[in-house]
Amino acid sequence: MLSVEALGKRFGSRWVFRGIEFDLGKGDALIICGRNGSGKSTLLKILSGLAAPSEGTIKLPEGDRRTTIGLAALDMSAYAHLTVAEHLNFTATMRGCAPALEPLLERLGLADRRNQLAFELSTGMRSRLKLALAIQAEPDLLLLDEPGAAMDAAGRAIVEEVCAEQRRRGVLVVATNDPSERKLGNLELELVG
Amino acid sequence: MASGLFSIVAVVGVAFASYQERLSPSVASGLLWVILLFSSIVALSRSFVAEEEAGTAILLRLVARSHAVFWGKALFNLIQMFITAAVLSILLFGLTTQTVSHYPLYTLGLLGGCASLAGAVTLCGALAAQASNRSALVGAIGIPLLLPLIAMGIGATRYCLGGVGVGIASRAVSSAIGLSVYAFAIFAVGPWLFDVVWKE
Repeated sequence: MLSVEALGKRFGSRWVFRGIEFDLGKGDALIICGRNGSGKSTLLKILSGLAAPSEGTIKLPEGDRRTTIGLAALDMSAYAHLTVAEHLNFTATMRGCAPALEPLLERLGLADRRNQLAFELSTGMRSRLKLALAIQAEPDLLLLDEPGAAMDAAGRAIVEEVCAEQRRRGVLVVATNDPSERKLGNLELELVG
Repeated sequence: MASGLFSIVAVVGVAFASYQERLSPSVASGLLWVILLFSSIVALSRSFVAEEEAGTAILLRLVARSHAVFWGKALFNLIQMFITAAVLSILLFGLTTQTVSHYPLYTLGLLGGCASLAGAVTLCGALAAQASNRSALVGAIGIPLLLPLIAMGIGATRYCLGGVGVGIASRAVSSAIGLSVYAFAIFAVGPWLFDVVWKE
């Protein structure tokens, strides 16, 4: 479902990473780890189609990327003046998929925040909202950038459940510095930067 | 808000400066289009820069088709330009001694110019939003796109503010038609150009 060959990315003359290769099928979960600045987030953005690699090839899941790929990026923000429910309705309309509002809100523990504006949410709740937006269309490929950061114990339990569900459905890729999140995957890739 | 405030302050400033003096059609037309140009650059480049700075551009790229984003931004900018132009015109002619002698031609020129401005600045904003030196880049990219537009806009409205003879009216008509064609070209080509620009 996700195949990468000789992947490399540079900014100017500086190579962030080179020679990345892996082949993931349904049920695989790849954990990308590495020190700060090693290119974890950059690699996720390349896998999501938001950024182009400097060399190499990627084979992504077939179909409309808006629904087959879900990404919860660290530097991604929600619209400050939309409520939680409005966000989910907006992204569903843009993607052309069902909003699945109630199941998502319940699953991510956001049911009592449905009418709260995004800028009023705590950091942890915003992370849950990002996760909800990423899994809304039940993507074949789910990319998570430090999903447990700023989450409390309940939030991390939700992340684990989402990751387990994703492995049953498709492919999971998680970028993390947290040693406890390594158990979410069955494969590891360390970027040395 | 900043754009509207700038427009109003600029027109009121012109009115005070030209108090009891008659503004020539050329000067009035030039002032109108300069104010429209700067207010559009202030307001419209923010439409993409604000998304990048707030971090919402990533979400938009993930869930929306590029054409939908372009048309959404461009149509909003178009409506904003129309409203700005209408308010500016009312203020300019209400506060100064300038009058319009041919309303249909004036309206045609103004509408064509606003549509062209909206489309051009939408594209410029998208091009500059991802750069590190955005403000300078908007100006650098905008000059070759916007200067011909402003020249045509001044030409279209100038001849509607003075007495209009047959020869003068035809010049205004050709400028207004030129602006409409410019707008059509921008909106025809814009979505495809935007698709290339929108991706990193």
